[in-house]
Amino acid sequence: MMLPSPSRALQNQQPLIGSDMFRLKQTEPRGLRLVVAATAKYKGTKMREEKLSEMIVEKVKEATEVCEADVRSEECKVAWDEVEEVSQARADLRIKLKLLNQDPLESFCQENPETDECRIYED
Amino acid sequence: MAVSTIYSTQALNSTHFFTSSSSSKQVFFYRRQTNRRFNTIITCATQQTVVIGLAADSGCGKSTFMRRLTSVFGGAAEPPKGGNPDSNTLISDMTTVICLDDYHSLDRTGRKEKGVTALDPRANDFDLMYEQVKALKSGIAVEKPIYNHVTGLLDAPELIQPPKILVIEGLHPMFDERVRDLLDFSIYLDISNEVKFAWKIQRDMAERGHSLESIKASIEARKPDFDAFIDPQKQYADAVIEVLPTQLIPDDNEGKVLRVRLIMKEGVKYFSPVYLFDEGSTVSWIPCGRKLTCSYPGIKFNYAPDSYFDHEVSVVEMDGQFDRLDELIYVESHLSNLSTNFYGEVTQQMLKHADFPGSNNGTGLFQTIVGLKIRDLYEQLIANKETAPAEAAKA
Repeated sequence: MMLPSPSRALQNQQPLIGSDMFRLKQTEPRGLRLVVAATAKYKGTKMREEKLSEMIVEKVKEATEVCEADVRSEECKVAWDEVEEVSQARADLRIKLKLLNQDPLESFCQENPETDECRIYED
Repeated sequence: MAVSTIYSTQALNSTHFFTSSSSSKQVFFYRRQTNRRFNTIITCATQQTVVIGLAADSGCGKSTFMRRLTSVFGGAAEPPKGGNPDSNTLISDMTTVICLDDYHSLDRTGRKEKGVTALDPRANDFDLMYEQVKALKSGIAVEKPIYNHVTGLLDAPELIQPPKILVIEGLHPMFDERVRDLLDFSIYLDISNEVKFAWKIQRDMAERGHSLESIKASIEARKPDFDAFIDPQKQYADAVIEVLPTQLIPDDNEGKVLRVRLIMKEGVKYFSPVYLFDEGSTVSWIPCGRKLTCSYPGIKFNYAPDSYFDHEVSVVEMDGQFDRLDELIYVESHLSNLSTNFYGEVTQQMLKHADFPGSNNGTGLFQTIVGLKIRDLYEQLIANKETAPAEAAKA
């Protein structure tokens, strides 16, 4: 099943020319959001994916609040650094699953198939 | 695996001295023979690990650069089996890739308390980094900490065996002078701000927590620490891969077509820079024309000697994209000093990872070439170590 990519979704809204890029609507309609084609094999990995996505929402909110006071404060820098760290971890997981077809829990689950984390994830 | 050399020396009762390095173990077999004046000595040198440093602000363990590099040596790099599933380490037959985030001295909570980002040297234990890289280089296994990027905590250490090639990847491979001196080769991946922004948009826009503003704010907030602590490392690198927006499309800001420059330091031992047509000259080359047809925006190459932070360098630059296989092989056939084992090896390696980002532009091309250069460096280093004991005996 082919799902539209974000770039195509953005194209539907406004052309990407120069500063027009910044006039795009910030929240995309849910139906056009990209969904990763390759999904987690084990429940534990699915849980990690969801946890990371939630953490991104949380930490972006936190950083926005902290930086309202002073954009150049240490707290503001650290808050956005945390957002970056979690965003990168989320992206790493996505790449492992999509590009490399490796579930990080693969080897752990070979040894411990009875744990809750190692239940095969079904959509 | 031990490398052994067998050679003969003159009789022990002659006034003959030879020195052995502290890392070699020697076994003497003394045989008294009347018709011969030579004794046989078998020397086994313990393995010396080649250490490569890669500075990149793109996280660890997934970077396609690492995968291209390990692929040049054969075999896929995988996380250690049966260990912590959140390990950042990658292991293949010949190489082990260590993520320098594992040497964080402060976990996420600790950094928040102290008000330091992960980019700040105060969040990293350089003493431990130095000790462990030094130990691995001398062939000693280490218990290396694990920094868990999901929980933000420091997990229990994992055992790392000394590999043939150790790659240390992260934000600070060249920050500490002692660690720098251990590196046999170092690379800095220098992404320009515009390209970084475009890549982070591609990376994060699908996440419901993110918006263009949050992505922009995150980059801006990290910039002061990045410029102060990470960026200055590029002056120490033997090779810098600089990624810039294309000059072929006016006002392009999609960041899809890229201009990539491979800046290679001159005079580095075992490293001979790649060149185009005539070494040391300045060449501007557009391969598309009568023999090769390319689609828009085409491909443009530049080669020239230059100066970079007071060092002499050679720069090969590619702007544009590969559309077809024959463009890639055409370009490969005109580049020199690639250190390939056979004609078409660069193309073959690029095709192996055709689905990786950068496979159709200079990032993939130069990452692959740097991988081949590292293989060449490794082979020369090993060959040199094997001849060294024999030469000591001849002296």
